[in-house]
Amino acid sequence: MKQRTLWSAALIGGLALAGCGSASEPESSSTGGSGGSEDTLVVWDWKSGEENAAAYFEQAKADFAEKHPDVTVEFVAQPFEQYYTLLGTAIQAGEGPDVVLFNGGGQIRDRVDALLPLDDYVAEDRERLAGWEAFSQDGAVFAAPVTLQGHPIYYNKALYDEAGLDPESPPTTWDDFVAACGTIKTATGADCIALGNKEGYGIEFFLSAMGSAVLTPQEYDDWIAGDRDWSSPGVKQIFELWKAAGDTGLNNEGANSTAMFNDSFGIFQAGEAANMIGLMSDIGHWKDFNEFLGAENVGVMLAPVVNPEASPSLPYDGGIGYAVMNWTTSPDLAADLVRSLTSTEALEAFHADAGAIVSDTTIDVSDAGPAVSTIVEEIQTGRQALHVALSSQTLELIHRLSQQLLSGSVTVDDAVAQLAASDQAG
Amino acid sequence: MVGLADGTNTRTMDDRPGPARRPPARSRSRGWERWAPYVLVAPAVLIIVGLRLYPLLLGVNFSFTGDGDRNGQPVGLDNYAALFDDPLFQQALRNVGLLVLLLPVAVAIPGLLATFIYLRVPGHRFFRSVYFFPAVLSPVIVGAIFNLLLAFDGPLNSLLRSVGIAPVDWLGDPGVAIFAVVGVHIWATFGMALVVFLAGFATLDSALLDAARVDGAALHQVIRHVIIPGLSRTIQFVFVTTMIGMLTAMFGLLYVMTSGGPEGSTYLPEYYIWIQQGQMNRPALASAASTVLFLIMLVVGLVQISILRRSGRED
Repeated sequence: MKQRTLWSAALIGGLALAGCGSASEPESSSTGGSGGSEDTLVVWDWKSGEENAAAYFEQAKADFAEKHPDVTVEFVAQPFEQYYTLLGTAIQAGEGPDVVLFNGGGQIRDRVDALLPLDDYVAEDRERLAGWEAFSQDGAVFAAPVTLQGHPIYYNKALYDEAGLDPESPPTTWDDFVAACGTIKTATGADCIALGNKEGYGIEFFLSAMGSAVLTPQEYDDWIAGDRDWSSPGVKQIFELWKAAGDTGLNNEGANSTAMFNDSFGIFQAGEAANMIGLMSDIGHWKDFNEFLGAENVGVMLAPVVNPEASPSLPYDGGIGYAVMNWTTSPDLAADLVRSLTSTEALEAFHADAGAIVSDTTIDVSDAGPAVSTIVEEIQTGRQALHVALSSQTLELIHRLSQQLLSGSVTVDDAVAQLAASDQAG
Repeated sequence: MVGLADGTNTRTMDDRPGPARRPPARSRSRGWERWAPYVLVAPAVLIIVGLRLYPLLLGVNFSFTGDGDRNGQPVGLDNYAALFDDPLFQQALRNVGLLVLLLPVAVAIPGLLATFIYLRVPGHRFFRSVYFFPAVLSPVIVGAIFNLLLAFDGPLNSLLRSVGIAPVDWLGDPGVAIFAVVGVHIWATFGMALVVFLAGFATLDSALLDAARVDGAALHQVIRHVIIPGLSRTIQFVFVTTMIGMLTAMFGLLYVMTSGGPEGSTYLPEYYIWIQQGQMNRPALASAASTVLFLIMLVVGLVQISILRRSGRED
C-alpha cells in the first residue's frame, strides 16, 4: 500500500512538473503533412453520404474531373455530431483533409487560422453566389457558400383561412400578429408559435427573425459590424418580446423541453401551431412543410413590425460552404475543387434533390411552390442574421439565458448584461 | 494473458536442455535470469507508458497552454481559473456532488428488489429476468424512449392530468431535469447491480434467515439484522461500481435527453469537456477540465481501493 501511495505521489508530481513546461509549437502547419498527395485530394464533410445529395456530388466530381482528369478526389463523410471534434483534432495535429465543409458564422470564424484565404481563387464567383459574409473574416473569404441558411417566418394558410383571416395577407405588425393568433386559437385551438428551445436554438431563430422588425436599419448594421449595444432599448425589446411570447402563452407548452430538431417542426407540420420560425435549407424548411401541409398552405411572411422605424427583412447567410485547409500541398487544385463544388450545375442538382436554397441565385426555383418564391424574392433585400455575428461562447450563453427567461429565473436586464460581458470578452 | 504467456516463457528457459546446464553457461544464465523479469514485463510497461501515461502527460501539459489567439503559448493556470470561474463547470461539479448524494438510493433500489426476489415473492422468477432487461439497452435507446415518455405532452403527463395532477415539465424544468436523468440512469443500469446482489445472496446462510423467522422477526428486522450484515461486502462492491457508472457512463443519456439543459442544469464534467472541445473549439480548456475530472476519479478510485482493502481485512 505504501509503495502504491508513493507511486501515485510520484505520478501526480510528474504531472504537475510537466504542466510547467510549454506546449508543442502552435503553427507547424506549413511543414505539416496533408491528407492528400499531389494527385489526391481528401474532402471532409457530413453531406456526401446522404442520398439526396448524391446528384450534387456527382455533378461536382464530373465538373472537377473535366478540369483535372488525373486527380483523385476522396470524399470522407463524417458524422455531424462528431464533425467539429474530429476537425479540431486534425487542426491541432496540423494535418488532415485538404478541403472541408463548414457551417457559416462562428464555426468557421473560430478556425480561420487553419484555413487558406480564397479571395484570389473565387473572384469570378463573387457575383454569381450569395452568402459570402458568413464565411469571411476581416475582409478575407475562407469558404465558398453552397447553400443559404436563414430564418423565414412560415405560417399555415389553412389555419388562417379556418379562423376567417385572409391567408394571402398575413399580419404586418406585431399587434396584428398577436391579435390574429388569438383569433386562430379561439377558432382552431392551434397555438400561435411552434417553439422548440430544448437546445436553446429557439432564441437564435427568434433573435434573427424578429431583429429587423425591432432594430432600426442603423442599429442593425452596427450590430453586424460588431458594434453591439446590448443595453439599448431595441435589443432589450427583442428579449422582452421573447419573454412575453412565453408568458402570454403564444408558444406551445413545454417549449424548454421540446427539441427544435425535430419536435417543434413536427408541431407545425401537424397543424398544431399557426406560425413557426423555420429554416431555409436542409431541414425544418419549406420542402418538409410542403410535404405535410401541401405547398399551397405554406406561406412565408416578413417579420411583423414592432418598431415603426424598423424595416423588416429576411435574415439569411451562407449556410454551408467548402474551405481549403492551409496545410494542403496543392492549394490551386483544392481551390478548383471548391469551385466545382459550387458550380451552377452541381448547385442546381442540390436544390432539386435536397430542397436546399442554394447560394447560386441564378437558378430557377419557380416550380417548388409559393413559399420558395417568396423566400428567393426576399433574399434580394435580405440581410445577415443577427445571431450569426455572435461568437459560439455568446451563443452558448444565450441558449441558457433564453431558457431562464422563459422559466422566469432571470430578468431581461440581467440577461443582456451577461450577454454584453460575454460579447466583449469574445 | 500477458502474465500467463510470460510464465510459460520463463519455465521454457529454465528447462532448457543441454548447454544451458553446463557450469560456464550457468553464470551467464543467472545474469539473464536477473534481467528476464524486466525484459518480460517491458512490453506491458511500454504499452502503459507509451499509450497511457505519456498521452496523459501531454494532455495535462496541454491544459497549461492557451486557446484561440494564444494557441500553444504557455498560460500557467489561466485555464483552471477560467474553469472554476465558469458557472457551467461549477454546475457540473455540483451535479457530481448530487450524484454522490443519490448513490445510496441507486444502491438501495437493486438491493431491495434483490431481497424480494431472494425471499421468493410471487412471480420472482419473472421479475428476475425483467429487471435485468434494461441493462442490455444502449443509453441512446433508453434516452430516446424516455424522451417520448417524459415529453411535456407525453404519456406520463397525460396520466398525471387524468388523475387531476398538474403536468410536470420533466426535462424542461431545471429543478427536475437532473433527477429525471439520474432516475432514468438508475432504471437503465440497476439490473447489473441486482445480479451482483443475487450472487451475494447465494452465499448467505439460509439457516440464519430461518432462525430469524422462527424467532418471529418482521421483514424490516430481517433486512436490518440479517441481510445487511451478511451482504456488507457485496453492498460495498455495488457502491463502488455504481459510483463509477454514474460518473463515467451518463454522457449518452445527457446527450440524448437534455443536451446539458435546461439552463445548463444537467451538465456533468464529461459533457462539459465534449462541449468545450467540439463545439467551442477550446481544446486546452477541455484538457484542463479533463485533468480535473481525472483527479476526481483518482481520489474516488483511491478511496474505493482503501474501502475494499479494509473490508477484505475484516474477513
